[in-house]
Amino acid sequence: MNIERIQQRILDAEKLQIIGNNSQLKSTASNTLDMSPYAGFIGYHPDELVMTVKAGTRITEIKSILEHKGQILPFTVQHNDSATIGGAYSIGSPELRDAVLGVKVIDGQGQILTFGGQVMKNVAGYDVSRLLVGSKGRLVAVCEISFRVLPKAYANTVKTTITPNIDSQSQVRERIEYGLKKVFDPKGIFI
Amino acid sequence: MLITQELSRSLPNNIVIQGDEMTRPFECDALSMYQQKPLAVVLPETIDHIKRAIKLCKTNNTPIVTRGAGTGLSGGALPLENSIVLGLSKLNKIISIDPIAQTAIVEPGVRNIAISEAVSEYGLYYAPDPSSQIACTIGGNVAENSGGVHCLKYGLTVHNVVAIKMLTIDGEELILHRNDSGLGLLALMNGSEGLLGVITEITVKLTPKPAAVKLVMAGFEHVRDCANAISNIIKAGIIPAGLEMMDQFAIGAAEDFAHAGYPRDAQALLLCELDGDEVDVQQELDKVLLLLSGASLIKVANNEKERLSLWQGRKSAFPAVGRLSPDYYCMDGTIPRRYLADVLEKISHLSLRYGLRVANVFHAGDGNLHPLILYDANVPDEQQKTEEFGTEILKLCVDVGGSITGEHGVGIEKLNAMCHQFTPAELAIFHQIKDVFDPKALLNPGKAVPTLHRCAELGNMHVHHGELPHPHLERF
Repeated sequence: MNIERIQQRILDAEKLQIIGNNSQLKSTASNTLDMSPYAGFIGYHPDELVMTVKAGTRITEIKSILEHKGQILPFTVQHNDSATIGGAYSIGSPELRDAVLGVKVIDGQGQILTFGGQVMKNVAGYDVSRLLVGSKGRLVAVCEISFRVLPKAYANTVKTTITPNIDSQSQVRERIEYGLKKVFDPKGIFI
Repeated sequence: MLITQELSRSLPNNIVIQGDEMTRPFECDALSMYQQKPLAVVLPETIDHIKRAIKLCKTNNTPIVTRGAGTGLSGGALPLENSIVLGLSKLNKIISIDPIAQTAIVEPGVRNIAISEAVSEYGLYYAPDPSSQIACTIGGNVAENSGGVHCLKYGLTVHNVVAIKMLTIDGEELILHRNDSGLGLLALMNGSEGLLGVITEITVKLTPKPAAVKLVMAGFEHVRDCANAISNIIKAGIIPAGLEMMDQFAIGAAEDFAHAGYPRDAQALLLCELDGDEVDVQQELDKVLLLLSGASLIKVANNEKERLSLWQGRKSAFPAVGRLSPDYYCMDGTIPRRYLADVLEKISHLSLRYGLRVANVFHAGDGNLHPLILYDANVPDEQQKTEEFGTEILKLCVDVGGSITGEHGVGIEKLNAMCHQFTPAELAIFHQIKDVFDPKALLNPGKAVPTLHRCAELGNMHVHHGELPHPHLERF
């Protein structure tokens, strides 16, 4: 699978549910876009503590590549035997959000967009790559993710539990989240 | 009635400041080449004052430029001719400290260093330390997602903020927390440069002070050897608390200024600080010393006095360079560190081509490069030449996969460079995000994101058959 194929699926769709490996969010829709074949490593620079992968890459695979270089993921993912990094990004956690450095996504109009980068410090433009952590596949199709990694010696700083989310719905928040959904997916194709 | 009269009527005495003389201190931030007086300056003492000011401005379509201490380096707090400045420096109370949870709740006008001072008795501090930390406010830090010299290990502002309270342009209060379900709105607010809301309260994460700190200085005959040594340290599984590099010009300037004992003949100087438990730090130090074997000179600070003295050179690098030239221009690009030697080489070629000297200081751990271009604003065209040179450096950073700004923000200064880093479609998304929060574009309008029109005029935008992309979008 290549990125143009994903783009075409989005351009052709009226309604589309993006799925990873079905490890957390089970697919319910008739028209699904399975991102798990879009997998593989794009870049890994152990001496810069940065890795870039395609969204369908499994967490277990990422961990084993890191292991070879004495490094670890700075966040914990549930059901990580089958989970993909794209799925983990879509579910989201504060620690995963902290680690994200950049993304390549396709929005609801089929535009390929890049936000953030492969560097630790980057304040050009709004921090969209962290904003979209936890977007549950409803705003964009996340295609590629860059994140920071840690040396093994820092394993004790990584939380091994999943931080429980605070459900903090308010009218203002709902309005803003709805507005942001419209920005990335104006036709409402991602369900 | 004029907005200035309405504000004066609605708010207590001495909250609203008007007139040429009185508003002059607010006409620029630390990027003083741009200056503009606002209609008025509002210095609220309570959240209610802010709410009233926002409400009146919204009704009158008056733009609001929110300001902390005015230490920003990108013109983010530059007033507009028809705006007010909303200065939050009087909101400077530390509301509460929770030493068990290691958090503090503070008002936006609290100075960065004041947090660390207030929590010091609990053995804690606030980790992000921008060089302006004695003056800059935490609200400004959140607006800019400020960095400092310890980011590689301790993160940026976004990693050290637990929650914020903010007001929308409609005056509604929104509370955002790290652990909120859904989209990362708190992360979005970090670095949003005052374009999305007014931050009224911040809960920061506090960090335990390390038991031991060790600083190593190393001088290198070649820039590449220094870059390799840095890579080897990280590859060996060590994350130094600070990892700073300077080139020969910066070394000489700093040494003349601070007499820190830097080796003038070295092409590159590395400062590597390790912190943590006594035992860990000693083990890491032993490893680092082995990894620095390619250095021409190595010095470990034997005591606190020596450590501070070695840091003094680096910390005074900007004023030290400033002594050598009537003016200097500080860049803030980031690059993947593997391109460091190449980028520095290209910068020195550009330096020859433009006939302008450059000193390089570098947050080497996180790839954040601060080239200082030396120039004289009184020489005709030299400021323009400097800006062109700066733009070339930023393009270079983007071309190797980096960014035009690591910690100083876009503000008014880097609007053109934004056109190089982002496509029109990406910039359009930024404008639409602002539109969700601030449809009348009253919060710091014109900053941080260039209009598509501006980029098209710069020639960085692909114009197809004479048509701009997204023809339905308004262009200013």
